[in-house]
Amino acid sequence: MRELKASFYDGKTSQKTDVTIHLSRTGELWIRRPSGDLTYALSAVRITPRVGNTPRSIYLPDGAKCETLDNDAIDAFLKQRGAHAWQSLLHKLESRLLYVALAVVITIASVWGLIQYGVPALAKHAAYSLPPSVDQKLGAEGLDAMDRIWFSPSELSEARQHELRSVFQSITDNLDDGHHYRLEFRKSSRLGANAFALPSGIVVMTDALAQLAESNNELIAVLAHEVGHVVNRHALRRLLQDSATVLLVATITGDIASITALSAALPTILIEAKYSRDFEREADQYALAYLHSQDINRSHFANILLRLQKNRPENSGVFDYLSSHPATKERIKALEHAG
Amino acid sequence: MVVTAKALDTSAQAHGDISSVTTIPFKFTGKAGEYFKIWIVNIVLTILTLGIYSAWAKVRRKRYFYGNTQLQGSPFEYLAEPMQILKGRLIAFGIFVVYFISSELLPPLAAIFGLAFIVGLPWLVIRAHAFNARYSSYRNIRFGFKGGYGQALAVYIGLPILSVITLGLAYPAYTYYRSRFLVTHSGYGTTPFSFSATAGGFYGVYIKAMLIFLAGGVLFGALFWAFGVSTPSPGEPSLAGSAALVFFLALAWLMLLLMVRAYVETAIANLVWNNAESNGNRFESTLAVPHMIWLYFSNAVAIVVSLGLLIPWAQIRMTRYRFENLKLAAAGNLDSFVANEEEKVASAGEEIADFFDFDIGL
Repeated sequence: MRELKASFYDGKTSQKTDVTIHLSRTGELWIRRPSGDLTYALSAVRITPRVGNTPRSIYLPDGAKCETLDNDAIDAFLKQRGAHAWQSLLHKLESRLLYVALAVVITIASVWGLIQYGVPALAKHAAYSLPPSVDQKLGAEGLDAMDRIWFSPSELSEARQHELRSVFQSITDNLDDGHHYRLEFRKSSRLGANAFALPSGIVVMTDALAQLAESNNELIAVLAHEVGHVVNRHALRRLLQDSATVLLVATITGDIASITALSAALPTILIEAKYSRDFEREADQYALAYLHSQDINRSHFANILLRLQKNRPENSGVFDYLSSHPATKERIKALEHAG
Repeated sequence: MVVTAKALDTSAQAHGDISSVTTIPFKFTGKAGEYFKIWIVNIVLTILTLGIYSAWAKVRRKRYFYGNTQLQGSPFEYLAEPMQILKGRLIAFGIFVVYFISSELLPPLAAIFGLAFIVGLPWLVIRAHAFNARYSSYRNIRFGFKGGYGQALAVYIGLPILSVITLGLAYPAYTYYRSRFLVTHSGYGTTPFSFSATAGGFYGVYIKAMLIFLAGGVLFGALFWAFGVSTPSPGEPSLAGSAALVFFLALAWLMLLLMVRAYVETAIANLVWNNAESNGNRFESTLAVPHMIWLYFSNAVAIVVSLGLLIPWAQIRMTRYRFENLKLAAAGNLDSFVANEEEKVASAGEEIADFFDFDIGL
């Protein structure tokens, strides 16, 4: 026979009554209150699961409840009766230092694993199982919008445009991946020397880039890099990875958006920037493989990257982590070590 | 005159007998170390079950915070069952996925979603509050929330639109009507809450916030100007130096925003609590702005530096401060509140609201 102190509330008014509860070996609860005793079988009452050292509630069949801080007595009673095994398991997990340490390790390892491998692999798998028509839709209005904001018509000569288009065509000719590849020329004072790919397969090159290059081989490297983005479905994968990242970060910090809005935004930005750099590296690899297949020296790629960097000084230090592209130094090093 | 006598009589009843008012402090007994264990197990099981456990995690977290919040020796209790939460979460997750994909791939469909969202939002807000109140209890008496769709539509859709049209001039009115809507439709058992704050009080808070922002902005501008002018540029400009400068200025700017936000949240919380009343029982909220700024700032730093491991500590600390500064000025004893009849509320509303992350405040 165990005895514990509790508060009794009838569920009809907020009146609080101090009571004692006797827990019998045969599994009965005997509630002694000033206005008369109550007896219930364990099977007739509902005992809330233990959470830390918060008070436990024992709900009686008629809607009344008892509240007690004597968690240990309740636990011992339930254990003896063989009840609520699953609920007490949770409290065990939450109270043993070893399990908690294990949980910390598993959490850190799985969050890291998810970010590093899980999310990218899942996104890749999902993207490749979607038809290329999805890419068309992703980039459908892209160029029109950019024409309004950034671009004016190209001032490159027809002959030069024609020459570069045929170079571009030789890169994409053998690709049969459902994308409609096309090279476009634009002038933009704001973007300077630049090239980028839309998910549909349209690659845009600025006049400044065409003028910056010292040979067509350099432009082939840049164009192959951009085609690499399209072939590898980077736009769709980025969309999928970024949504997964938001979900992941929200799962971990979501409880308290108000306190940690700032601290939740930071990891999201860092992870998304990391993914962006990974895509750039993958596109670099694609360009390298193409150059190799055409017997073009990879130094052309390194040269144009260096000249692009000189043209547009990069930030140093802290900001690498926030950058969408890997540092040029690192990219060139990767080029030298490749193959 | 009979009428006057009667009016006097009701007002005396409403405010209770002055001499019998007792001040009862709220007590929060949560401990960071204890909560850390619950929190980390919640996360690990959520990951290992691919998110399914998050419903159980939420219930355990809320039970921990409610159970550790006491008023006159009795704790609060969170009553929702994990399965209810899980059902709501699955619905919310489905909507979120469909919305996310459709808004990227089919913009017209996203517009339809947006419209459905506007129509559904007031309903969601009501459901969310009703669910949360219904499954919160104190001394075995449940809280309740009964808001009407029309009013919710005016408050949550009409006033935000008006705020945009008036370039923010109506925004304090929006926050005022939102607080009033939430407080006046809430109840403890059969006892409703009333709200005596005025729109003027809310405008006062925002005007003061504006002044703080302007003063801070001037200071920030002076700082910017001083650094911009005094940076010497012999030879080539140091990139590392300018990066550090940008970083420093960005940090100063964030601090200013954080201070203004902490001021608004603190002042509004005090204003709302101090003007809420239930059957002559009032609240006294005495949150101090500098301390709240310190808590926000130090919590953010601690969380970032610890890679998130100090989140439980930050939460407990914030909650403890909030309750240390909340008291109930009780007109009589707390034994005579009467329960409301049973009423079921589905949890989908709350979970969807949770997912889209509306700021409900209070």
